[in-house]
Amino acid sequence: MAEELLEQFATPIVPTEPVIEFRGVSKTYPSGTHALEDVNIRINKGDFVFVVGSSGAGKSTFMKLIMREEKANTGTIMVNGFNLTKMPRKQVPMLRRTMGIVFQDFRLIPTMNVFDNVAFAMYVVGESGREVRREVTDALSKVGLGEKARCMPMQLSGGEQQRVGLARALVNSPDLIIADEPTGNVDPNMSYEIVNLLTEINKRGTTVLMVTHDHNLVRDFKHRVIMLDEGRIVADNAAGGAE
Amino acid sequence: MKLSSMRYLIKEGFKGAWANRLMSLASIGVLVACMVVIGLAILISENVTMAIGNLEKQNVVMVYMKDYNWALYGDTESEEPESAESTESAENTENTESVDDTSSENAEDTVDENGIKQTDYVIHNEEEAAALCDKISALSNVESVEYISREAGLETVKENMLDGQEEYFTFLDDQYGNPLSDAAKVTMKEMSLFDETIKQIEDIEGVGSIQSYGGLAEKIDAIKQGIYVAGFWIIAILIVISLVIVSNTIRVTMYNRKLEISIMKAVGATDTFVRIPFVIEGVIIGLISALVSEGLIYFCYRVATEKIEVMLGSVVAFGEVAVYLLLVFVAIGIFAGALGSAFMIGKYLKHEGSEFTAI
Repeated sequence: MAEELLEQFATPIVPTEPVIEFRGVSKTYPSGTHALEDVNIRINKGDFVFVVGSSGAGKSTFMKLIMREEKANTGTIMVNGFNLTKMPRKQVPMLRRTMGIVFQDFRLIPTMNVFDNVAFAMYVVGESGREVRREVTDALSKVGLGEKARCMPMQLSGGEQQRVGLARALVNSPDLIIADEPTGNVDPNMSYEIVNLLTEINKRGTTVLMVTHDHNLVRDFKHRVIMLDEGRIVADNAAGGAE
Repeated sequence: MKLSSMRYLIKEGFKGAWANRLMSLASIGVLVACMVVIGLAILISENVTMAIGNLEKQNVVMVYMKDYNWALYGDTESEEPESAESTESAENTENTESVDDTSSENAEDTVDENGIKQTDYVIHNEEEAAALCDKISALSNVESVEYISREAGLETVKENMLDGQEEYFTFLDDQYGNPLSDAAKVTMKEMSLFDETIKQIEDIEGVGSIQSYGGLAEKIDAIKQGIYVAGFWIIAILIVISLVIVSNTIRVTMYNRKLEISIMKAVGATDTFVRIPFVIEGVIIGLISALVSEGLIYFCYRVATEKIEVMLGSVVAFGEVAVYLLLVFVAIGIFAGALGSAFMIGKYLKHEGSEFTAI
């Protein structure tokens, strides 16, 4: 069944630059859990990919490997030109500066206002004051929160908080956005708004990789879908819209 | 690193110290206690050093002569007069007493009621004592010699006694006779030649013993060495305690700021960048502790010296050691603050902090 699906929805080999490439990647945790087994995948520049699968399917490990929070036991992983299997630890920050991460729980600092929460992502990579002001204002207007720059996170709705998280992921102009269930804590209407925003960002050339459990979103947005089950890729639907 | 980044990190360090002010205050309290103990050890050591210096500057020594009382009360067993001495003293006796040879020899051999023969001691009379003083005066490093007869010595002892106590010495004198030996108060020119001159005086015939503060200075110096060794270990232990205290405070701050650290790691902050605000926070705690300790030590020392000065005569002025103490405190503060926090954040980043997706 899985093989049939793979054959049916196999990603066509296109001569575009890969942003993420897994070759024969396996990951087993010290506890003995086989999280991923022989994963081969290629995500090209400008792709929008949904990663789906049940709990324990290996989605989190898949994302952690891309962010280099975990290291693969076997195989090769290339992300934004970095070879993650050979990369020394001190180069990890450089890899992460090429990607923007959106968390399910927003991860906003409650003592900072919206502007400062977004600016924080620029300060920590050593950007200067004037540039920070310009880029933060720009990122906030992209997510439609230009008017709420001085609000505290607690004054915003779940959807708005996630848009701040999205602005923070965008502010350093990354090549790749990794969104780990960004709609998990927002209502259905807001979920569509978040994915719409991500689609807009994707149209401007940024690759988006989004983990989700929301079948409706996957069905309604016609993006590529990678399905994981028991640590293996069981489906890779380039046309999207179905699981 | 850009100036704006540095400004941001310093601001974050202050924010951390303020946000976590209760723990910061507790750390400052413990650090201040450690620093005050260290400061007191330094001040005691400085005062002992000064006291030794003062003693060593005493260029006056008392030379006690080998007279009758020296033979009677002194420790003469190890210093039996040599045959040459006997001859010399015999000659002196001959000159001064102007008696015939036979009677002189008889007098030398006569043992008195105390079992002392004339040959048992060297200085028999004031003339011989004066001659000894002249020999000491002739030494190049000797500025002056004052002869103090045993009687004058006893008078001085009595004068220095408290009211009523001099009667005891009068009683002793009346009952048993003056126990003191004739002495010479010798003032030296150069303290650098102190030991050499003492040796020259010791070599002069008729010199029984020399009382100087050199021996006392040596003993106090040994105490000073003891204070140094004990002080070193106390300071070492206190520094370790300071490190642990600062580490724990930073640990609390770090867990309070787990969210920020996870975001920093996610957006690509380097470990150094994540570390700096915590190190700055540790240094702030250390510096505040140093300043408080300096003030506290100043106050305590002023109160203590008002009492001690009466007993010791003089103490080291706080102004002389103030800068040195402050530098020591600042050094300890920065060391404990920076190292304690760097160690803790390093440990955190290596373990829990490396996983930013699950906080």
